[in-house]
Amino acid sequence: MKEIVLKTEDLCVSYGQKKILKKINTLFEKNKITAIIGPSGCGKSTFLKSLNRTVEEYGGNMEGKIHLNNVNIMDMPLQNLRKSVGMVFQLPIVFPFSIYNNMIYAPKYFGEKKEKLNDIVIKNLKKTGLYDEVKDNLKMMATKLSGGQQQRLAIARCLTVNPEIILLDEPCSALDIKNTANIENMLLELKNEYTIIIVTHNLSQAKRIADNVIFMDEGQIIEEGNQNEMFDNPVNVRTKEYLMYMRN
Amino acid sequence: MKKYNENIFRIVITIGAILSSILVLLVFFYILNESLPFLKKVCWKEFLLGGTWSPLSSNPSFSFLPMILGTLYVSFLAIAIVMPLGIGCAFFLSFLVKKSHSKVILSFIDMLAGIPSVIFGFFGLVVLVKFMEQNLDMVTGESVLVGGILLSVMLFPYVITGCAETLEKGKEKYYIASQSLGVSKWYTMRVIMLSYAANSIFVNLLLAFSRAVGETMAVMMVMGNSPIFPRLLGRAETIPSLIALEMGTATYKSIHYSALYTAGLILIVIILIIQFIAYKVNKMGSRRFK
Amino acid sequence: MKIKDIIFKSWIYISGIIVVVVTFGVFLYFLYKGIKVVTLEFILEAPGGMPLGTEGGVFPAIMGSLMSGLLSGLIGGLLGLCTSIYLVFYCNNKKNQKYMLHALQLLAGIPSVIIGLFGYTVLIVGLGLNKSLISVTLTLTVMIIPFIALRMKKALEETSKDQFICSLSLGIPKGYTIIHLVIPNALKYIMTSLGLGIVFAMGATAPIMFTGAVIIAGVPNKLTDPIMALPYHLYVLVNEGISIEMAYGTAFVLIVLVLLINLICHFIGNFEDV
Repeated sequence: MKEIVLKTEDLCVSYGQKKILKKINTLFEKNKITAIIGPSGCGKSTFLKSLNRTVEEYGGNMEGKIHLNNVNIMDMPLQNLRKSVGMVFQLPIVFPFSIYNNMIYAPKYFGEKKEKLNDIVIKNLKKTGLYDEVKDNLKMMATKLSGGQQQRLAIARCLTVNPEIILLDEPCSALDIKNTANIENMLLELKNEYTIIIVTHNLSQAKRIADNVIFMDEGQIIEEGNQNEMFDNPVNVRTKEYLMYMRN
Repeated sequence: MKKYNENIFRIVITIGAILSSILVLLVFFYILNESLPFLKKVCWKEFLLGGTWSPLSSNPSFSFLPMILGTLYVSFLAIAIVMPLGIGCAFFLSFLVKKSHSKVILSFIDMLAGIPSVIFGFFGLVVLVKFMEQNLDMVTGESVLVGGILLSVMLFPYVITGCAETLEKGKEKYYIASQSLGVSKWYTMRVIMLSYAANSIFVNLLLAFSRAVGETMAVMMVMGNSPIFPRLLGRAETIPSLIALEMGTATYKSIHYSALYTAGLILIVIILIIQFIAYKVNKMGSRRFK
Repeated sequence: MKIKDIIFKSWIYISGIIVVVVTFGVFLYFLYKGIKVVTLEFILEAPGGMPLGTEGGVFPAIMGSLMSGLLSGLIGGLLGLCTSIYLVFYCNNKKNQKYMLHALQLLAGIPSVIIGLFGYTVLIVGLGLNKSLISVTLTLTVMIIPFIALRMKKALEETSKDQFICSLSLGIPKGYTIIHLVIPNALKYIMTSLGLGIVFAMGATAPIMFTGAVIIAGVPNKLTDPIMALPYHLYVLVNEGISIEMAYGTAFVLIVLVLLINLICHFIGNFEDV
């Protein structure tokens, strides 16, 4: 039996007059990695951003319903929603503090006890494999880390608030092969604890890590399903064309 | 750990913003309200086109024309001086001086903006006015010319900083491409950079002009302050000087007092027109170089 | 072709040299003239002699300028910061935002003498305040609010929007993000704006001529005491022809004070995160 954590119903998103998403209906399974693929400008990134309502911060307008564990997220306090649905952005975003302060930025706000902060930092840095690299330099400015390390720090920081779901928006597009592999392996580990939704333009990446795949075009879902089935036997013509095109 | 409260923060911010807005509106309200009695009583033809300003005589006449002309005269003069110097200096700093040197020079020019205008007035009085009296055989050195020269120095930072910034951008964008065609450095500057920066130079000059129009102390100290029609080597008075000099003596709520508020209103209208033009030109410019 | 280049070249060199010489000339002139007058006594004593100001120092004027400048910087800085934060992060109504911005820009462009007029009418005549520290401070505050608010708004807008949203996506509300992320990030520019605001207030002469500065006063003890101010003192010394020597000293002190405050604010703003 599949366990569903997130379900969208007729989700529409528009910027002013411009409609970006048109009636999205889909499900996300617990403890799986779901990859969202599609040509650029298809709305995949907007879709991801609407799942924790950050799209509204960019001036987008949301309609429809999104259920997180059977509660409509439009009725949830924004803070609780964003705490349970974390997000990692395309370019690594680290705050201009030390590594340690980056990690305790959110827990401190949520009132974690001082004694526990250290544990939180170490535990989450370990999950991203960053701990061994930086354990002697926790007071170093985070902006001095390499791009790959910064992205892993961003992921670790996102884990500090104990999210259920992690959204990643093309997290590897600015990284080299080695760092990409690092992050992919890490995501495969993390999916035992979290539900992961990743937007990617890299088909082979989707193939390597995703359990399920959603293919979008022009603001709609064209096809979705298990990744093996979809990559081997796409049903829809547009999916076929896109996959062919991307492979060549 | 103290619990942080979002609502309190929002309320504090909003109260602060509202308070500032009220103060801003209050200023405008007072200027309009206090000049109303004068505007009602004196016909616009008289105060804009009349000949003399003698508010205290038995048959008072209120004409701002000498002061308006004086203000515009000295401001235009300042712009005419600062324009070639400022633009030339911006080129000089962007293209001919080492980057580290030009940074130091620019920060000194910027510091000029921080020097209180009363100090410039003092400088004008002891250096420029004296020079005029000793070398040009003038009875009194206090004149529109000195005011213009002094103002132009005060406008250096406003013109040069902005222009140098634009030229720096233009250099990054086009300099190498132009140089690779084999033309001379001077030709590149003259043809490409000048046309690239023309718009922004113009806007900078307009803003500097609106600054010149509102300048009070420096101009007041070197121009002699006679409410007569301005000549280059004669005394004249500007609107800000008029306000600063007569406010202390005008009786509260008298027509004289209201007239001074009207003078302020006229000044604001002049500045508003200049800023509006600058805004429009700026918009046009940013469309051209996208 | 060649001739045009030569004309252009000489124009640039000549104007560059003139500007540089004049700029440094102004500074050096006051440095040279002032350093001869300024002694410890000049800084620490009250004006004396007959007519007043021909001897002694400028201590009450220094204190008056510092107190009114810093006080109005404090009030104006806080109000300006609130206004800029409101405009950038909290104002949802685009129309209101535009009106507020235009009003601030307009007020920022208004000559300071008109603000003085306003202060005179409202504070001295309207509210019946004495010429005092408080009336000067309030007038200067009105003058620097738009000046500070517009600069701070620019500073806040320049901090990365992505970082802001990233913090929101951790479930942290706007206000906490602003206090702990945006403001520390923009601190450098915020402090520079504040410094410029204070300097602007301290150098202003026209607005305080009828709202509070007097020719002679002691160091103010309370808000309702009248004050001396350096720029006004300088103006009186020069305009009444009391003492050119003392005027050089006063100008020197004022310039040094102004540069010092700029420097201090710059320094505070450049602190690494605490």
